[in-house]
Amino acid sequence: MNRHLTKLVAALAFATLAMGAAACGSDLGGGGRDEEVTTAEAEGTASGELAISNWPFYIDKDTVPEFEQETGIKVDYTEDVNDNNEFFAKVQPDLQNGESGGASIYVVTDWMAQKMYDLGYLQDFDKEAIPNFEDNLVSNLESPAFDPERNYSAPWQSGMTGLIVNSEVAPDLTSIADIFDPEYEGEIEVLTELRDTVPLVMKSEGVDVENATTEDWLAAIDKLGEAVDSGQIVDFTGNDYTADLARGDVAAVIGWSGDAVQLQADDPNIEFVMPEEGCIQWSDNMVIPVGAPNPTAAYEWIDYVYEPENQAQITDYNYYVSPVDGVKEILEKQGSDAAKSNLVFPDEEYVANCSSQPNPPAEDEEEIEKAFQQVITG
Amino acid sequence: MAWLRRNGIRIYGALAIAYMLIPIVVIAVFSFNDPTGKFNFTWNGFTLEHWENAFSLPALNEAFVTSLVLAALATVVATIFGTLIALALVRYEFRGRGPANILIVLPLATPEVVVGAALLSMFVYFEVARGFSTLLLAHIMFSISFVVIVVRSRLIGFDRSIEEAARDLGAGSFETFRLVTLPLIMPGVLGGALLAFALSLDDFVISNFNSGREETFPLFIFGASQRGIPVEVNVIATMLFVVTVIAMIFVVRQQRRAEALASASVPAGESAPGPGPGALSAGSA
Amino acid sequence: MTRSRRTPYFLLGPGLLWLLVFFAIPMAFMAYISLNSGSLSEGFEFNWEWQNFSDALTDYGTQFGRTFIYAGVATVLALLIAYPLAYAIAFKGGRWKTALLFVVVAPFFTTYLIRTLAWQTILADEGPFVAFLQGVGLVGQDSEVLDTPGSVILGLTYNFLPFMILPIYASLEAIDGRLVEAAKDLYASSKTAFLRVTLPLSMPGVIAGTLLTFIPAAGDYINADFLGGAGQQMIGNVIQNLYIEQRLYPAAAALSFVLMAVVLVFVLAYIRFAGSEALMGEEEERA
Repeated sequence: MNRHLTKLVAALAFATLAMGAAACGSDLGGGGRDEEVTTAEAEGTASGELAISNWPFYIDKDTVPEFEQETGIKVDYTEDVNDNNEFFAKVQPDLQNGESGGASIYVVTDWMAQKMYDLGYLQDFDKEAIPNFEDNLVSNLESPAFDPERNYSAPWQSGMTGLIVNSEVAPDLTSIADIFDPEYEGEIEVLTELRDTVPLVMKSEGVDVENATTEDWLAAIDKLGEAVDSGQIVDFTGNDYTADLARGDVAAVIGWSGDAVQLQADDPNIEFVMPEEGCIQWSDNMVIPVGAPNPTAAYEWIDYVYEPENQAQITDYNYYVSPVDGVKEILEKQGSDAAKSNLVFPDEEYVANCSSQPNPPAEDEEEIEKAFQQVITG
Repeated sequence: MAWLRRNGIRIYGALAIAYMLIPIVVIAVFSFNDPTGKFNFTWNGFTLEHWENAFSLPALNEAFVTSLVLAALATVVATIFGTLIALALVRYEFRGRGPANILIVLPLATPEVVVGAALLSMFVYFEVARGFSTLLLAHIMFSISFVVIVVRSRLIGFDRSIEEAARDLGAGSFETFRLVTLPLIMPGVLGGALLAFALSLDDFVISNFNSGREETFPLFIFGASQRGIPVEVNVIATMLFVVTVIAMIFVVRQQRRAEALASASVPAGESAPGPGPGALSAGSA
Repeated sequence: MTRSRRTPYFLLGPGLLWLLVFFAIPMAFMAYISLNSGSLSEGFEFNWEWQNFSDALTDYGTQFGRTFIYAGVATVLALLIAYPLAYAIAFKGGRWKTALLFVVVAPFFTTYLIRTLAWQTILADEGPFVAFLQGVGLVGQDSEVLDTPGSVILGLTYNFLPFMILPIYASLEAIDGRLVEAAKDLYASSKTAFLRVTLPLSMPGVIAGTLLTFIPAAGDYINADFLGGAGQQMIGNVIQNLYIEQRLYPAAAALSFVLMAVVLVFVLAYIRFAGSEALMGEEEERA
């Protein structure tokens, strides 16, 4: 055993030395950055290269080439945002050092935009460079709680989280409360997104989600935990619930509006059901990170997609809610189905009970996250 | 019954191979699907459209090419390093054998999440930009250990007397290695290389952390799996499989031709350096 | 054997250096982080926070147990499938040996994710395969095959098969056929010849394969992700979750080290039991 002991000692010695070296630099250091928030200034005419990080299949095939042709800017459009948290983990080390990892635009959901901003990872907009954004942003998105003056976030598309149901299998499932009905045991999936799933469950308990207390959040999480233990809820998913629905493995899920439309093409029985209790509304936003290499070109892009015609093309493809005024008329003129859909252009009655995506109370956020994750990881 | 006993193993082997090919068949079948929507899960109708336009998605193509190049480079380097290490471990006496073994086994015992995250931390600390080069460094790293183990198990059962014979006949160290040892351990080395290549093509977790803006094939697929995998992905996956099989058939033919040539030109009584010690029994006096 | 005393170091040098720089040092960083406390918003601080380790064990004991069961069963299954297959190819393959080997390995050139997703399609409730299983009575009428421990284990077994096949094949292939012949000349039956000659000689490959399968299987999370549900999450899922979803880097690092430690214990125990110095690279003495 002597040999083993020597090996062990050597390993420990090495580890200690290395740790000493590591102590010289705080790389995963949290606490964000200490510098003041900068404004990304536009300089001259846009040119050069623009790298964008967005979610997959959020854009049609023609927009990028058309943009390139019109502006002469070369676009490196990468669909590498699969999940807010995962993307954050990937870019956080760079952002901590004041770099963006190469992209000038990220597209992240509201709460992640806020988180990044609070950590000092984003820059403010040079509003003069994006007149279309100022002019054409729909009124209900002009002043969200997390960015009241829209200083650093420009919505890409908006969406609704509600129920997606296979109406052939579960015709009577119309509310969040219904997903806890034992009739559907083992046929339900919910989202891994804390800020979608738990608020919806809270809604079914009659809670006003925008003013929910920590106890409300935790109670809802407990309810979910019980549902997992009893086999009622079979999985927590990201977008992959679409696969399970399309295959007929589940009867209903908590899911995102745009997906429902796309699923209908696979199985006409699948539809988005606005829960009786209401839905959760959110947006994915374009943001400019610190160290963005080409903010001028970024502004050119933002301005371009806020042109109603260009936006119409995008919305017609992904069937999410457009943040730009005037798109509906254009689509109607084109005779597109999207113009008639409540999912793409929800009327007020439709979203009467909906809330915007809430954040858990800041001081207990970690505790709530941990509790939720415990339920997810079984 | 006797027939079953004799061929049992062959039948079992055939069944096992069938089991391994089931998902491939499914993937291939669905590459001919014509889905109505974005999702390719239910059979809708036969079409060749996606085969004809297999390379029509620029993001997919780029990711695929990146993966191939990455795998090729990583395999070459990792196989060389790994084989050398295996040789040293099996054949030589040296100090530090214990720590060396630990260093080799540890990467295998570490979850990829940890390895990926740890690497990222280090790259950031030293301000190394993440991209193709960091991917390559990572891929080589995790392949080395696998190559070592495969080659090592090949080396261990190795009959050294052939090498001694070559020495006795006057061959130098390096010559012996090149003409006798290497060809004989080649199945092991190739096995290790194959594994390294497959590992690199396949890698998702470590790549996800260390790719920067570079997209590999698996990274593309994971993203796509969240929102609907295009049929073209199935097409390319099937193509990969078919190309691999064809390439291997080609390699085998070459090998057989080489063997035939070797045994034809070697006088009776001596053996050709082909794979398998079975060849020795034919030639031994 | 007279060899230059420096040769082994030259042989080892490049590879080991690589592993040192790109594995060992990052691991040291991780060790450092595992002893931090704090969070992303507050900032991390090196605190000799040993509690991270005890927390890891208490919070995630269930998942640990589950992980080792899944990985263990998958390894055994893989061995049962791989050994006869490798044997068939090595001894009955004849001229087709290499070709067969490649056919066996080729499916694994299609991406891991796609293969696993294919199993998702195959094991779908409405699919023909499950219908078949239900018809034969192996599976209840209402039950699901996906999102069960069974489907996760199936995925693990399938995906790690080549790791089992290749080493076993390599060592089987290296066996000198004359030894088996000699055994038979000494009146051993086929079965005895196998048990007393072939099997022991193939042990290095079996050990290598078993370890190469069990260890990554224990750290896997893709199979549980795609084929499993809420009750089938493995330790890999937890680590990924801690690192990415919750960004609790110290806890994630601590959990990873605990996983590594437990796996190493299994490995060492296994090696002791199998009594094989062969893994450590020393040659066996031949009588």
